[in-house]
Amino acid sequence: MPLHKVSIRIDGEYVEAREGQTILEVARAAGKYIPTLCYLAGVSPSGACRLCVVEVSGVGRLLPSCTTAVQDGMSVTTNSEKLARYRRMVLEFLLTERNHYCSVCVSNGHCELQSMAAKLGVTHVRYPYTYPALPVDVSHPRFVLDHNRCILCTRCVRVCDEVEGAHVWDIASRGIRSMLVSELNKPWGESKSCTSCGKCVQACPTGALAEKGWAVEEMTKSHENISRLAVKRGVRV
Amino acid sequence: MRIQDLSSYNAVRQAGLDKLLPQKPRIAVGMGTCGTGNGAEGVFHAFADEIGQRGLDVQLARVGCFGFCAQEPLVNVWLPGRPLVVLRRVQPNDVPRILDDLYLGRITESLALCKIEEWDHLTGQIHYGRGYPDIPLWNEIPFFRGQKKIVLRNCGLIAADDIEEYIAVGGYQSLYKVLIDGTPDAAIEQIKAAKLRGRGGAGYPTGLKWEALRKAKEEPKYLICNADEGDPGAYMNRNEIESDPHSLLEGMIIGGYLTGAHEGIIYVRAEYPLAVHRLSRAIEQAKQYGVLGENILGRGFNFNISLVEGAGAFVCGEETALIASLEGHAGRPRPRPPFPAQKGLYGKPTNINNVETWYNIAPIIAKGAAWFNETGSSKSPGTKVFSLVGKVNNTGLIEMPLGTPLKTFVYDVGGGGINGRQIKAVQTGGPSGGCIPQDMFDTPVDYETLAKLGSIMGSGGMVVMDEDNCMVDVARYFIEFTHSESCGKCVPCRVGLDKALKILNAFTDGKGTEADLDSLDELGRMIRDMSLCGLGQTAPNPVLTTMRHFRHEFEDHIRANRCRAGVCENLALSPCENSCPLHMNIPRFLQLYKEDRLEEAFESVVMDNPLPASTGRVCQHPCEDRCRRTNLDSAINIRDVHRYIADSIYASDRYPAMIERILARKLAPTGKKVGIVGAGPAGLACAFYLSLLGHEATIYDSNAAAGGMLRYALPEYRLPEHVLDKEIELIERLGVKFVFNTTVGRDLSLDELEAQYDAVFLAMGTWKEASARLPGIELRGVMPALGFLEAVSKGEKVNLGKRVAVIGGGNSAIDSARTALRMGAEVTVIYRRERKDMPAIKEEVEAAEAEGANFVYLAAPHRIVGTTDGRVKAIEVVKTRLGEFDTSGRRKPVPTEEIQVFKCDTVILAIGERVDDALPRASGLKLTDSGTIAADRYTLQTSRPKVYAGGDVISGAANVVNAMGYGKKAARLIDQHLMEDKRIAKLSRKWEYDQTPPASPSKEPRQLPGQLDPLERVKSFAEVTTGLTALQVLHEAERCLRCDVKANGD
Repeated sequence: MPLHKVSIRIDGEYVEAREGQTILEVARAAGKYIPTLCYLAGVSPSGACRLCVVEVSGVGRLLPSCTTAVQDGMSVTTNSEKLARYRRMVLEFLLTERNHYCSVCVSNGHCELQSMAAKLGVTHVRYPYTYPALPVDVSHPRFVLDHNRCILCTRCVRVCDEVEGAHVWDIASRGIRSMLVSELNKPWGESKSCTSCGKCVQACPTGALAEKGWAVEEMTKSHENISRLAVKRGVRV
Repeated sequence: MRIQDLSSYNAVRQAGLDKLLPQKPRIAVGMGTCGTGNGAEGVFHAFADEIGQRGLDVQLARVGCFGFCAQEPLVNVWLPGRPLVVLRRVQPNDVPRILDDLYLGRITESLALCKIEEWDHLTGQIHYGRGYPDIPLWNEIPFFRGQKKIVLRNCGLIAADDIEEYIAVGGYQSLYKVLIDGTPDAAIEQIKAAKLRGRGGAGYPTGLKWEALRKAKEEPKYLICNADEGDPGAYMNRNEIESDPHSLLEGMIIGGYLTGAHEGIIYVRAEYPLAVHRLSRAIEQAKQYGVLGENILGRGFNFNISLVEGAGAFVCGEETALIASLEGHAGRPRPRPPFPAQKGLYGKPTNINNVETWYNIAPIIAKGAAWFNETGSSKSPGTKVFSLVGKVNNTGLIEMPLGTPLKTFVYDVGGGGINGRQIKAVQTGGPSGGCIPQDMFDTPVDYETLAKLGSIMGSGGMVVMDEDNCMVDVARYFIEFTHSESCGKCVPCRVGLDKALKILNAFTDGKGTEADLDSLDELGRMIRDMSLCGLGQTAPNPVLTTMRHFRHEFEDHIRANRCRAGVCENLALSPCENSCPLHMNIPRFLQLYKEDRLEEAFESVVMDNPLPASTGRVCQHPCEDRCRRTNLDSAINIRDVHRYIADSIYASDRYPAMIERILARKLAPTGKKVGIVGAGPAGLACAFYLSLLGHEATIYDSNAAAGGMLRYALPEYRLPEHVLDKEIELIERLGVKFVFNTTVGRDLSLDELEAQYDAVFLAMGTWKEASARLPGIELRGVMPALGFLEAVSKGEKVNLGKRVAVIGGGNSAIDSARTALRMGAEVTVIYRRERKDMPAIKEEVEAAEAEGANFVYLAAPHRIVGTTDGRVKAIEVVKTRLGEFDTSGRRKPVPTEEIQVFKCDTVILAIGERVDDALPRASGLKLTDSGTIAADRYTLQTSRPKVYAGGDVISGAANVVNAMGYGKKAARLIDQHLMEDKRIAKLSRKWEYDQTPPASPSKEPRQLPGQLDPLERVKSFAEVTTGLTALQVLHEAERCLRCDVKANGD
């Protein structure tokens, strides 16, 4: 069934879109930048990081562009003073929540959190650091999970569940105590369901999931392949 | 028995009616969780045993809860043909008495709360009978007056686990109706026309939701009842299910038929075991009777209901998280749209309604949309059930028409504050709601108005707070709750609440900063705007509303490290110390006395309060109002204890040595000079501490002696002059200089003072009578109270005549009345409100009554009538009646047509005093709108930075201890400013005394001081109160519960 075409405005410009597409998809196709962290093309959107929120005229609330479908006649603002401030606060929250020491991180220079902070102008944080004492899981022969760098975006959870079909990962506990766990909170290396495909590592935006053997700044990742694979296998169009 | 047609329905109905109105007495015990918690189980078994032993033919039933929690356990007693009587606070040992009476065909009236002659169950009527003229009807008692029971129509009246009793009151009739009518679209239109809105809090129109589900094409469709009630302080859903589970089932089955769903799920908290039990049983019975399952009521409709127990996550009250939980996932929400009506449970169309919404369905079907619209407001018709809890006398579950003003909840239904305490705010909507301050109690309670104030209706929790609640702590408590209940999925809620909680913890620890306040505000807005689901979006409401309406409390915590409510442990020693304007360490002197260390007790007292004997006689004693012992029996008599300690030292030869001991505490001279205007309590206290701190203090006063109001306004029989003189002796010995008979502003300008001194403290008090517009005020024989008292104390001749009328209800009214009595006059005190509303000290009013003063309440002066030669002849008063509650929580007196005349020769006006603005105006000081001198709350600096002000000149006429508190605070601030150091702590010494609270509270009652016989004492100005004895003081010291001892023993 061919999908209806709709017309929306993004930051004042008229853009054509298909019904069922999200604001984010349409904006990206039109070359508009909306920052994201938990969004990963090819897996289901989660709407958790809130960086991609936009203003839609006539709607009182801010809406996440990654999950909100376009509607004919919609007028979207992707950037405003308020949005910019709130997005910076999200990054400040993430940077202070756990222990993000870029200088000793394998992903330094290739980290989405880091580059996003630079891009959105987070030059310093105004909140006290939490300094939680968090473990590092090195039980897997090839990979390592460093909870200190995890931002709980669940890209690994979704990619493992939806693309690889293994569902090794999930989030345990709740609130500020939320933790990424493999299987029923067993060391990753003891996981029976893990296929060691490494998609989670490639999907991870920070240095939380990394391959072993790399030193500072050496871990580079590519999640484009995952998205391509996912789309090809029809996980999500 | 399966109901398949009308005749079988009617047969079941008759069977139910035979149980509800049997041919014998019926006793029904209210056995919701609340009743059971108050011992209803024991009462039920006591009845069962006793009825069995006596072989009585009495029907005993378990019903749900009638809603009046404060009066639990409730028991309904019914004799055939008579009204149903609700007995309150029934204990097992009341049971024999109740049955004895019942045997004689009587009701135990001493336990009766109210009676019910007939009851409209909306789907049916029950006529119990008439009689018992002495027992009030249920809706005549304040708690129920104004309530309208739609949702709670059956609660507490029918057996919760008997479908036959439910059918007896017309249950499942509405279901029958929609099935027979067979026009679901029309029925949905009816729900839409009724404008029923979701009772879970968001208020979305139920009819629209149902219509969306009906139109959804996909199958199967699901109906869900959200019974995951998790707000602290809210328990209406629990009670509804426990008391009347079939109403919920009927609502859902009707909903299923109308929307085309065949499966219903009730998601109920596992923490509600009784609700789960009763629901399971109701589902079983409903299937058995053919109203649930296959071929319902023989009309070919199938619908099933299953029960799922939630694992106790607050976030699962959010519909998408609830669906995730039902699907077996962790309870985390997802963004909407898509809404559940499009993609809900297992991706299928789903409708979720709160428990209470479902309870409205059967009545709307039975009585129609127009009937429903008669109740409530036009936008929000119907009622809402609220759990009214916290600091009100009548706590309980109440069902009120939407749009009822908040003050009706608090004062009429709730019966006002406990022990007459001032109510400060109401928190609505639980952790997602906000606090509404007392001056906004006119607010109608409906969805829109509450949202406008930054709160929400929520599930209907209503927590009343009084002066013992710290609003900062309230905000902290709710953020702590949402912080621990946040699912952690989205960043603003997960991390933002953590940041907010850290700031609030710092506030309650006294470690917050002004910058934190702004940061908290920004955090609150960001979390509200950016969070994924309702939990995060509403979590900041308690913070944002308390910061908006109670900003001064936050500032107190930050700028003065002060928690006025005494809740924040690090900021208050004990409730008594915290409420004393002088912050006397009360537990310490009580303990020192208890350890037989009188001199040290005196030292402790006098270093905290330089006028302990005077205040020991006349203080308004806020400490006693806050004493925790009040909750046990009555407050410690703190005032009389420090009076005794001071009196015994003053009367002994140890006083000179004690003076030396205090002088030894004086710090080295600083060379700084401070000028003080006014030798009243504020000026004296300020001078005392300034001198101790090493400064040179000079007090100017227009009178010829020190003391101010203490000397010239307080009559001799309350505070003898020699007591005051003794106390001023110590202040003089400290080196304070007095310049009498000098009025600053007339004899000396403020500029001159400012030039001479390093700082000036203005403490002139309020000596000018408030202006009154009253015809006849110019007549001879009309005088202001203060002028009268001053003249008497100075020994001037005052001619009162035979009869005196005193207008007013404050301390100066009572002082004037008692003084006039001593001058041989007949006295009538005229006050426009009720006795309990009088601002005067209670003991003083009692004393005046004992001495023979007449009191006329609810009367306002109208006109003073004069003789032809211009003398007072009489006063005319207008009788008033009590109107609406005003912002002080008292009923406003409204004039009536009735006029009374009192003959009198003198009229004393005690209607308040104000600041004499001659000096402030002449010296260009800023004044407030109410005519007091404008001074910073925290620094006490006036618009001239070297000039400080305190006491009545900035607060308006108050009392002695309030003034002294300002004086002490001014000394600390002036010293801090002059010396650029916080030196006040250098005056305190280390104390060692026992830090163990009593193992069990002393059994002694509050000790009362001796008093002269009223008939004797009224003949002279001799001091009325003779004080406590040494043994009594020891009893009082032993009665102290030692709230100052912290758990860690510091």
